[in-house]
Amino acid sequence: MSADASDLSLVRRVQRGDKGAFDALVLKYQHKLVKLVMRYVRNPAEAEDIAQEAFIKAYRALPQFRGDSAFYTWLYRIAINTAKNAVVSRDRSPIEYDLDRNNEESYDMQGRLKDSETPEGLVLTDEIRSTVNAAIDALPEDLRTAIVLRELEGLSYEEIAAAMACPVGTVRSRIFRAREAIDHRLREVFEGGLGRAEELG
Amino acid sequence: MNEELDSQLSAMFDDELAPEQCELLARRLSRDEQLKARWGRYAVIGAAIRSERGVRLNPPLAGRVSAVILDEPALATAHTARRSGVRWWQPLAGAAVAVGVALVSVLWLRAQAPLAGAPLSAHLTAPLATATVPGAAVVPAAAAGAPDSYVVPRAPAVRAPVVPSTELANYVVAHSVFSSPVGRRNLLSAFMTSESGSAAEEPPDEPAVHAQ
Repeated sequence: MSADASDLSLVRRVQRGDKGAFDALVLKYQHKLVKLVMRYVRNPAEAEDIAQEAFIKAYRALPQFRGDSAFYTWLYRIAINTAKNAVVSRDRSPIEYDLDRNNEESYDMQGRLKDSETPEGLVLTDEIRSTVNAAIDALPEDLRTAIVLRELEGLSYEEIAAAMACPVGTVRSRIFRAREAIDHRLREVFEGGLGRAEELG
Repeated sequence: MNEELDSQLSAMFDDELAPEQCELLARRLSRDEQLKARWGRYAVIGAAIRSERGVRLNPPLAGRVSAVILDEPALATAHTARRSGVRWWQPLAGAAVAVGVALVSVLWLRAQAPLAGAPLSAHLTAPLATATVPGAAVVPAAAAGAPDSYVVPRAPAVRAPVVPSTELANYVVAHSVFSSPVGRRNLLSAFMTSESGSAAEEPPDEPAVHAQ
């Protein structure tokens, strides 16, 4: 199994002009990238803007990506550079910052909160988290262990197989079934039941 | 939804799917919105398990990036356009450089060639009777052991042609394809003349001429 084959297959499609494949890469890495950028900027809105800029830069630079390194390593490097540049350019314009602070209205615009940081957004995040946790708690032990080792500990299927003393194929099946059960619960709550995802998303 | 397909999607999300299967699934993933939504939810589940901030089922970031990229040219098209843009002037630039080098070589060699009608021959030896040369300047010797003086002709009647070295001759012959056939023939014959002439007039090993 070659590492990064999944990302590389998507990257190759983007390089051939398939923009839909880039959506999949964004969906996969957006949370990780925002979390990474949050190490440089405290404001979640700014972090999301920087992550967006990093994704767009990555898209434009993809023709030069040869696959010598893993895609996410390359993407993270772009994000870190973008975040550093954003911090530097922000520090170079303190006057604008002071003016904004004096003007309450413009300060609100500058320091606006993304939906995820608004009270409703935070509630939604908590709801998602609690739904996922409840779904995990309801899983059989072998499925719960497999998904937690994968998502929380970041172990490979082979490592999980060694830890759980079972074949790799069984690990793959357990992780898939765990995800399906959690996904089913999420859709039940947010798309069928509460409908809050539609309302806020 | 096919369970095997979903199972493959889960494995692909974890980078645990064989590359050839990844290729097929990536194609489907990029077109199937339902599959893409499921892929996105797998990412949400992982972020929720890791207790990351701002976890949402439909984060606006992906939509914003997608909207910006939608307005951009597709990479294959953009890349091809850039490459074709580069392609048209590359041969022209190469040809221009080659013509320039050839032109400079020919002009330089013509400037070094003897005046019309004069044979291309070497005059490496200094004039023997320097004292008799009109307009010659006598320079006193700087040291006792050094030669007392030497003669610098002020205005030589005929410019002494420089005999091209073997390397230069090889260079010119090698690059003579860029010159006109007439010029090439003249150059080659001039070299042949100069080689034979200079060999005949090779000065013996004798000290340089010094005026007392």
